[in-house]
Amino acid sequence: MKNLHYHFILAIFLCSTSVVAQLDSIQQLPEVLLTDSKLVHFSKGFKVEKVNDSIVERNATSLTETLTYNSLIYFKENGFGMVSSPSFRGTNASQTAVIWNGININSIFTGQTDFNVISPLNYDNISIRSGGGGVQYGSGAVGGSIHLNNTYTFKKTNKTNVGMRYGSFSTIAANANTTQTWDNHYLNVGVDFLRSENDYDYVGKGKINKHGQFLRFSAKVNEARRIRNGVVTWNSKYVYSDRNFSGSLNTIGKDAYKDIATRNLWQLQKQIGIFKTKASFAHLYEQFRYIPDSEKSNYDQGQANSFIGGLQTEVLFKNKIRLNGKAEYTLINGNGDNVGDNSRRTLAAVLLLNHKVSDDFNYGVNIRKEFLNDYDNPILYSADAKLKVSDFYSLRINGSKNYRIPTFNDLYWYAGGNIDLKPETSYQVAFGQQFSTGNLKTDVAVYYITSEDLIKWVPKNGGIWEPENISETRNFGAEVTFDYTVDIGKSQILNLNANYSYTKAEDLKKEKQLIYVPFHKATGSISYSYKKLSIYLQGLFNGEAYTTTDNSDVVDAYSLLNLGVDYTFPVNPNIKLGGRVKNVFNKYYENVAYRPMPSRSVEIFLNFNI
Amino acid sequence: MKTIKRSLLIALSTLFFVACSSDDDNQPVYEPAAYENGVLVTNEGPFMNGSGSITYISNDYATVSQNIYRTVNGTELGNIVQSMGFNNENAYIVVNNSNKIMVANRYSFEAIDSITTGLVNPRFFESMDGNKGYVTNWGDPNDNSDDYVAVVDLRTNEISANISVGFGPEKMISHNNKVYVAHQGGYGQNNLISVISGTSVESTITVGDVPNSMVVKDNNLYVLCGGMPSYAGTETAGSLVKIDLSSGQVSETFAFETIQHPSNLTIDGDNLLYSLDGKVYKVNTSSITLPGTEIIEGYFYALQANDGKLYASDAGDFASKGSLYIYDLSTNQQIQDFQTGIVPGGIYFNN
Repeated sequence: MKNLHYHFILAIFLCSTSVVAQLDSIQQLPEVLLTDSKLVHFSKGFKVEKVNDSIVERNATSLTETLTYNSLIYFKENGFGMVSSPSFRGTNASQTAVIWNGININSIFTGQTDFNVISPLNYDNISIRSGGGGVQYGSGAVGGSIHLNNTYTFKKTNKTNVGMRYGSFSTIAANANTTQTWDNHYLNVGVDFLRSENDYDYVGKGKINKHGQFLRFSAKVNEARRIRNGVVTWNSKYVYSDRNFSGSLNTIGKDAYKDIATRNLWQLQKQIGIFKTKASFAHLYEQFRYIPDSEKSNYDQGQANSFIGGLQTEVLFKNKIRLNGKAEYTLINGNGDNVGDNSRRTLAAVLLLNHKVSDDFNYGVNIRKEFLNDYDNPILYSADAKLKVSDFYSLRINGSKNYRIPTFNDLYWYAGGNIDLKPETSYQVAFGQQFSTGNLKTDVAVYYITSEDLIKWVPKNGGIWEPENISETRNFGAEVTFDYTVDIGKSQILNLNANYSYTKAEDLKKEKQLIYVPFHKATGSISYSYKKLSIYLQGLFNGEAYTTTDNSDVVDAYSLLNLGVDYTFPVNPNIKLGGRVKNVFNKYYENVAYRPMPSRSVEIFLNFNI
Repeated sequence: MKTIKRSLLIALSTLFFVACSSDDDNQPVYEPAAYENGVLVTNEGPFMNGSGSITYISNDYATVSQNIYRTVNGTELGNIVQSMGFNNENAYIVVNNSNKIMVANRYSFEAIDSITTGLVNPRFFESMDGNKGYVTNWGDPNDNSDDYVAVVDLRTNEISANISVGFGPEKMISHNNKVYVAHQGGYGQNNLISVISGTSVESTITVGDVPNSMVVKDNNLYVLCGGMPSYAGTETAGSLVKIDLSSGQVSETFAFETIQHPSNLTIDGDNLLYSLDGKVYKVNTSSITLPGTEIIEGYFYALQANDGKLYASDAGDFASKGSLYIYDLSTNQQIQDFQTGIVPGGIYFNN
């Protein structure tokens, strides 16, 4: 483990002897601002990909769907719309952090975010940051992090859009969103609704999904106000989800789940001399009810309030050295039928440095230290560098130490919770190169992650399961992305996109591949547009994944194809009408054993942009 | 891969056989596998998703067959194969999470029937007088008042009566036309034995906390009680309760001196065997002192003694194939070691 650091430091040192500029992965219009600017300024040597709005629109059902088809993250879904957890670079479900406007929103109880509860239509910018982000984003940013950001602008804007979708399995959805600016104000308000009977066929099994109905409602308010030498922002979000849980091939679903989340973030940003200073306060609330029998009224419940206060300041010396210091205090109060009433306090100090040595080369060094926790307070660090070798070729490298703290369930679950757990720790290095010539863009990344003290629930004497820091893993892999756009002429544009990943994730004690980590995943799309008409094909290949720790059983590989078409009427207000067929060949597939996913389905949509 | 290799081998040898003996009468190539004279292990299967299975190991240890129900019938048993009971030629396979019982011929494992209505969280099956089957049901595990024992008419495989019982009915033993039901307590804890005669509860006997396993010997019922676990609030020690079946009264209670939680009571001749904290202990029924003699080490999920041997299953991490170990009780040495399916929870003798 120690050797890894030395290699990594050596690599940084070697890189810094060469010279040259930066090429931000996130292209950003200067007048549109992210509420979480760290993602842009302190992630230069990391792979950060923005999911295009047009792509989000094509896979708008849930964040699971958006990322399944447009990233290399593998999702385990207990049936369509049910609990969905990610495996990012072969790491476990609580090692992918979901960051809302800079704040980690993984559940206090499970350490994960259920990607089916998140509507992708509520954000202005969804980005995937691969690799360790523990210094900036705290616990769980091990495999990578998903960033859900709202932006703001003071440029004159008056935009409203209303969308409606209707599809197979009695699925209806609607969303409305308006953005207005006036004087020194920015206001964005939106709602989003999705409901489905979800009664799809289990293809070839002669059964239908009888108990998988779901409903999701979310609302958002994002506000910004320009003040003297600064800006005040407020981001607010409400999500309600009510689901019956599907059964499996050989069980009938009975249970149900309801959850509510609210998130509020207030930030005051002021330029004081050379210091760009930000004070922030956030409140997160999560509540769940697990109903073992949907026809009865008894349930298990839990809720948690998190209060996060932060103060940070940033200086930019001579347009070259950017330094950011931050102190953040978090108080979490959680209680539940199975975990009792508990709280956690954390004070974190974070120092981020980015040095732009020249237009072609920059590097960053970041460090985080925590205090007050009742377990060993970790020191996390990361370093990264980016080198632009030529106008079309650049290299990036990064290394980091990350962690995942035990959840309230791990610590306090009745019975079995273990209050002596340590955080999971992980070390990683990643190297990437990007070729980019006009319309052609390819990216190749390799990474190596070792993790220790992984928390695993194991059976103890007397039939009780208890979590322990026992498992060790090693993940390595490669990711290739390819994107090519051709302007055929006569108003025709063709876009080709392909992504492939190889993931080896090994339990070092058993010397076996981890369960539910496929070796291969590939996605691809072909889009053709002619004036206002566009047609696209979307493909997905998920390789075979083991379902048992001795690798004796698998969930089969599958490939899927979706076909979509849309047309924008050149009228004012602008109207877009489209439709798509998912699972065109009506294939049986599952990504969790015995949990069938949908048969062929059809969806039509209508969008108004006013 | 192994299966492919084996199929290839069979195909090749068949080819060879056919080529060399083309003059002989055409023998049927496929002979239905016979699963008698061996040990059957029910494997619960993966906890959340998947199917349980049954493993067969012949008494001469020469044949080991995995997943025999699927091999014969082409269909899965269902989610959480909890246990199995027998009546005459039939096996009754209790599939807990799928709320059903699959009925198959116990020697060929060809499917005969299934019981899919009227069972809610079924646990164990016990037959009596050739045409009645009793099935313990938890009902809704969060409701302590809806637990019952279903009575199945084995001629029609339909439920003919439900007997309402105290909460958490688990294992059963039938003896002299009575069924003794141990109320382990489901997700909670209980301390009762219900005595069922016909279709009603004749009496209940209070025993120690969490009665988890029973054996009958010389008209005595021995009930091993695990005691209250630490998370139950007040932790209590396990105990061994001896019930005189002629009077239906507790005749003796033997308590464990320290707070420990024994399980898996089984019997070999005069010796009671059980597991406790990673060890198997032996106690002679004629002079019971606890904990008895430590004979074998290992964390076992299920134990069954038969004919001088101890069969012990190991579920490992509960997410991979388990094992069945066979010990010779005259030497307490392990003599065999077989792979089973995932979470081997029940051991049965099919002779």
